[in-house]
Amino acid sequence: MSEVEKTKEQALMRNTSWLYTLRTLYSRELRVYFCTSFGWVIFACTMALLGFCLQAVIQVMSKATGEGVMYYMLNNINFWFFFIFLFPLITMRSFAEEERQGTLEGLLTAPVTTSQIILGKYLAAYTFYLLLWVPLLLYPWMSHLANTYTEWRYGIKAEGEITYLLADWIGPYAILSLSGAFFIAVGLLCSAMTRSQIIAGILCTSFMISYYFLGRVTELWGEFPAAPIFHYISCTEQVSSFSRGLLDTRPLVLYLSLTVLTLACVKRVVDYRRWTR
Amino acid sequence: MSMVSTEHLYKEYGRIMAVKDVSFEVELGEIVGFLGPNGAGKTTTMKMLTGYMPPTAGTARIAGHDISEEPLEARRHTGYMPENVPLYDDMRVYEYLYYRAKLKGLIGKSVRSQVGYVMDRCGLESKRKSMINTLSKGYRQRVGLADALLGEPELLILDEPTNGLDPNQIRQIRELVRSLAEEHTVILSTHILSEVEMICNKVIIIDNGEIKAADTPENLTKGLRAAGRVSVEYKGELETVMKELHAIPSVKKIIYEGTLPDGWQRLVVRAEPGTDTREKAAAIIQHHGYPLRHVYRHIPSLEDVFVEMTRHD
Repeated sequence: MSEVEKTKEQALMRNTSWLYTLRTLYSRELRVYFCTSFGWVIFACTMALLGFCLQAVIQVMSKATGEGVMYYMLNNINFWFFFIFLFPLITMRSFAEEERQGTLEGLLTAPVTTSQIILGKYLAAYTFYLLLWVPLLLYPWMSHLANTYTEWRYGIKAEGEITYLLADWIGPYAILSLSGAFFIAVGLLCSAMTRSQIIAGILCTSFMISYYFLGRVTELWGEFPAAPIFHYISCTEQVSSFSRGLLDTRPLVLYLSLTVLTLACVKRVVDYRRWTR
Repeated sequence: MSMVSTEHLYKEYGRIMAVKDVSFEVELGEIVGFLGPNGAGKTTTMKMLTGYMPPTAGTARIAGHDISEEPLEARRHTGYMPENVPLYDDMRVYEYLYYRAKLKGLIGKSVRSQVGYVMDRCGLESKRKSMINTLSKGYRQRVGLADALLGEPELLILDEPTNGLDPNQIRQIRELVRSLAEEHTVILSTHILSEVEMICNKVIIIDNGEIKAADTPENLTKGLRAAGRVSVEYKGELETVMKELHAIPSVKKIIYEGTLPDGWQRLVVRAEPGTDTREKAAAIIQHHGYPLRHVYRHIPSLEDVFVEMTRHD
């Protein structure tokens, strides 16, 4: 017991700074993705599905128009087909599951603010989302490996190698991280509104699908006076121009402001729901 | 300065008033038992004190910090164990406690020493590396308690700490709570009244969202109707004995509870609280020469208080 008493006598060292608490929350949230099967399943499935998009490589080789492989991968119906479902999957459990299990109570009664909880969850989900795209950087290396093998085995020099050209990669990554920042925030908002993961997932999926179609309105209806709005928010158009290497500041403003707005809404929702609980 | 003081707390859920005008004080070092039927507003009151739910009206102070104006400071002084102890099932016991310690602002060596201390205190050393989802209810409860103790809060708020445990576990948790009371102020809610009698030095009875009584267990039982009750078992004639018993000044009512299966008669004598009619009753029966085998003065318990305060019939 002497050791115990000794510990009691020592004054406790505390750090009550805003960032320290945020870091604690953030690492716990990130842990959920990587210390349970949940995150790895999403990771593995995304990798597999991106593999399907890689059939675009064949297009690169046949057309040889000068666009990088990412352009063909992202401007591809295969890609959009699973891209819009990523966000509900990543975010739907964040608040809903905590509320269902009751652990939100422990969180909200600890000396932390609602903003810290939301930012911790948001940053963790966003980090996980960004990490999903990192393995793509292996593709050029893999294609180089495949070409070397072909050359050694069959003596044929293959054309159309995937290259590490900054212009090919910076645009796609920029738009994926920008739009992702907003979509993750939307997912968090849906999750904060309910204690059911399923409902959160449905809400977020519906939003994603609507947002996707809003961006394609001009394809269906042609140009009309309000068309610039639809061009402005069109995720498919942004991806198409960014993946060509055309960087634009308009989506930056759009997505950053929408992200901040959505996160502010999450805070309102979480605080509001405390009143009615 | 009192540890907790609440002033006219109200909580409204839609049209239902869950808590109405609740005001009480808890002094430093007290163990307060929160009693009341299910749905009386105990949990709601506790949730407001811990800052989980804001009150509709009124306020409370914990160690001098207002729960709505300085919520973080108030929470720093509070260790809370919610009902049913929600925990992260995907973590190990020590991981969870490390996380919670950091969340409460502890850093570096303090985290390790505090986690070691609370694990030792709650008997969790053997389960250090167990996944939380494999723990039995008793151990989950201990993890919850260990969590509440982290960071040396002055005030512990425990919502039904012995709910759903077996008698041995209840005894262990009770001992633990009792030992914690040396360094902490404790507010606990429970349905087990004997438990409150054993460990609490103040009782707050709440019903329909209102405080019905707030006092020490001794004071509460003192003025009770059941306090002067004496029961008698003898064999013999009924009428005259009852009449003579009724003649004793402090006696208010005699109830004949019937003849027992073995032929003895049972009477219950209701007298003024605080009086003892055993001797006189025995003397009357013996005067007639009837055999007497049982004279018992009812010791009023908290259960009597509870029933009397919260009965709705």
